[in-house]
Amino acid sequence: MDSTPLTMTLRSHILFSRMNRISIKVTGAQGQGVNSVGEVVAKGLKRNGYCVFGYREYMSLIKGGHSSYQIDLSNEEIRSNETKVDVLVCFNHHGLEQNWNDVKPSGLILHMTPQWKFAPAPEKALRTAKITVMYMPVEDMLKALKFPPIMANILITSVVWAVLGQDTGTLKSLVYDQFKHKGEKTLERNYRSIEVGRRFKRQFLQKVNVALPRARARWRNCMLLTGSHAIGMGIIHAGCRMYVGYPMTPSSPLLSYIAGEQNRTGMVIKQAEDEITAAQMMSGAMHMGTRAMTATSGGGFDLMTETLSLNGILENPSVFGLAMRPGPATGLPTWTAQGDLMLAVNAGHGEYPRCVIGVSDSHDAFHLMPIAFNLAEEYQISVIVAYDKQIGEAIYTQPLYDQKIAKINRGSQLVTDEGKLKKLRSTDRYDPNTKTGISFRWLPGSHAPTYAAQGDEHNEDGSVDESAANAKAQMEKRMRKLATLKAALPEPELYVSTEQGIRTVKNDQSLDILIIGWGSTKGPVLDVMEEFRLPHRGRRRSRPLRVGYLHHTYLWPLRAERFARLAARAKRTVLVEGNYQGQLGLLLRQESGVATDDQILKYDGRPFFTDELYARFRPHLA
Amino acid sequence: MTRIHLDPSARSAFSGQAAPKMSDYHHDNKCTWCDGCGDYGIWTAVKRALVELKIAPHEVMLCYDVGCHGNMSDKLQGYRFHGLHGRVLPFAAGTKLANPRMPVIAHGGDGASFSEGVNHLVHSIRSNYPIVFILHNNGNYGLTMGQASALTWQGQPMNTSPNGIPERTLPSMDFVFSLEPTFVARGFSGHIDQMVEILKAAINHRGFAFVDFLQACPTYNHFATHEWLLEHVVDVKTLGHHDVKDRKRARHLAVETSTHIATGILYQDEKTPSFYEQLVPRQKLKTAPVDEVQRYDVMEYMKEFV
Repeated sequence: MDSTPLTMTLRSHILFSRMNRISIKVTGAQGQGVNSVGEVVAKGLKRNGYCVFGYREYMSLIKGGHSSYQIDLSNEEIRSNETKVDVLVCFNHHGLEQNWNDVKPSGLILHMTPQWKFAPAPEKALRTAKITVMYMPVEDMLKALKFPPIMANILITSVVWAVLGQDTGTLKSLVYDQFKHKGEKTLERNYRSIEVGRRFKRQFLQKVNVALPRARARWRNCMLLTGSHAIGMGIIHAGCRMYVGYPMTPSSPLLSYIAGEQNRTGMVIKQAEDEITAAQMMSGAMHMGTRAMTATSGGGFDLMTETLSLNGILENPSVFGLAMRPGPATGLPTWTAQGDLMLAVNAGHGEYPRCVIGVSDSHDAFHLMPIAFNLAEEYQISVIVAYDKQIGEAIYTQPLYDQKIAKINRGSQLVTDEGKLKKLRSTDRYDPNTKTGISFRWLPGSHAPTYAAQGDEHNEDGSVDESAANAKAQMEKRMRKLATLKAALPEPELYVSTEQGIRTVKNDQSLDILIIGWGSTKGPVLDVMEEFRLPHRGRRRSRPLRVGYLHHTYLWPLRAERFARLAARAKRTVLVEGNYQGQLGLLLRQESGVATDDQILKYDGRPFFTDELYARFRPHLA
Repeated sequence: MTRIHLDPSARSAFSGQAAPKMSDYHHDNKCTWCDGCGDYGIWTAVKRALVELKIAPHEVMLCYDVGCHGNMSDKLQGYRFHGLHGRVLPFAAGTKLANPRMPVIAHGGDGASFSEGVNHLVHSIRSNYPIVFILHNNGNYGLTMGQASALTWQGQPMNTSPNGIPERTLPSMDFVFSLEPTFVARGFSGHIDQMVEILKAAINHRGFAFVDFLQACPTYNHFATHEWLLEHVVDVKTLGHHDVKDRKRARHLAVETSTHIATGILYQDEKTPSFYEQLVPRQKLKTAPVDEVQRYDVMEYMKEFV
């Protein structure tokens, strides 16, 4: 093995100067307990007062493969992972081979592979970097205790826990929560394993201690959840009463969560025969007047696009979740990407208005869901909520959601009042003469004149009408809604560094660097901006760099004015996106005529890591 | 289990209006089907069945696939939907699950139902959605000018298959029965009274009602013509005692069409619950999903993640 990459990465790490971040990575075969150890450590750290950001990597198979669970933590808010970790736990030798280079200087590798020996080059590099490599004879330890192999998880967790200097109380209470239903014997075994693990740490890792920053109470009562959980709760909160889906990573965790909660929510859940069915059933349910949703990933969304087009002409409110992963085709099924923005914006034949929203984190994931339904019903359009595997499966430390924010808006043109229903005419449904393009909607079953929700070009009451004048009038009616919507959508948010930390600001500013992005890249970008606030070694500046991040939540119709204004005043604009073409950049250019100066793009299935992104920013700082 | 759907008396009380008349279903748009098209008969039968069941136009959801039959969507009153080719069943199922109080009738042709959207037919029967499905069975793709469908007979020169189809004809009734349907009926577009009787039973059926209406296509179907169908269809009631619960005999009657074609209600199973009734979370609820849109408190869900 060549040691050059190590020296290079170590150097780039040193440049990344934030001191109060710690990372732990657990690697192993899928099904070996990687997630179990990761989850307990993450939850325990959160309960002890740390902001945790978790990230899972795994392959598209059930058993075997190489998977990892990484936890980054801090006492301040963190929103991303680093490529480098302080503690690496390897359930098998694959982690030793593939991940040894991920460990920070003075870090720890804890492994369970008997007689493991590194090749000379990594051996030397690890020694130079003062990394402790510790073999833990888990099998023998369990044999001595007469405990089944499954207890390895808590044993290993306990060692990590002790290395992090954390108290046994939290760990025991977590174990109690998890195993209390399994009886006294299981609990006793777990407690005993915790003690044995601590003894191992005292005996063999006496000098290896990863010092955590001071804990803060503000994190203790937060939730630890994935973006999929957040979206799930968001759609429950939004009054969604039916969910139809077809399994496809990374949208499946949402389907699992919402289906798993059906006995509490009372929602109608249908696992459909395919994505076309899912889209059609959701559309039928929305047409009748309930709130329904479906979600899928790129390939499934391709199948849904004809239905998207249908909803365009029916002016049927509908909500589609688009959980992105790298394509084309099956691509990298269990990895992340932002490559389907253009798909969301352009999918489906013909021209019709739609709204595309991008989720960026667990906060958005919840709060954007009622908004998505409101927009769909107000404008009688499809709303596509785009997120990615990173959001769907990353683990966030999230304060309890404020439940007073969401409004339920069924649409200003929805007619439900009996008196008003009686006064309606069939021709009000698709009246092309409204100024906003939005016409009256009333639900099937209403005691009122009836209409046809017509997939053919139609006139006011849904009767087929192929005349040129009608085709023109109806197209203009529908497209007018896009202009109405665009004017009503919020502008993108500008984040800047202030004395109090990173804040959004209403006014425009002159910036040294204007960063532009959407979706999950917000997390690592904001974390990198924290870095820009710190004093920079070897770089004397008269003043700190003025860096701003323009985050686009509403991606279509795209309000590009603020980007154009800020870009005109910024010294340099840098687009950060998880795709090859810089798709938001293309859309911004299409809408404003302004191109970004630089692009930091990533399309290898991995999210942006803070240190990596920081290193990639450096050439743009000159 | 409670049966939330289909109590005609309750529905009339709900609407609080006089019994509907045929003229209530009248739409000013002129029919555009060919002279002698079977769709005229089916169109009339649907309206008559609804009127006889005292269902007013605003109380029914009529869903249409794409094909000649789909041109019915703007030739009558009622809340109507005209969607994508092959996809009418999942949309119709979605409407029904959202508002189970409303009768839902889905229409599709043999092209849409046995080629483009055959998977939806399979899963709709399997799911036993409480809806009616009318198969407008004219043995070809009429609206795209007479191509062969999966149900076109072999040996018939058609648009795009001048030598007849190289594939075998799909045995549709055998196929449907293999899926364990809970309601199977067959009618003929020339026999309106029988179609009305079938439709009334289908609308009141507990689960998924598969209704196969053989219809003439005077322009493109030169094999099973109106005259040929007239000569071959026989009311099942005239074929000796038939118990609609007898699936084996029903299947035999449905499949065996070499000498005559049995029509009427061939099979009905009222014991199997519908999809909606099978949904555990819905069983204790008296409301429908359309009544339940509001902001929900998720505190108890959030606490589980702390």
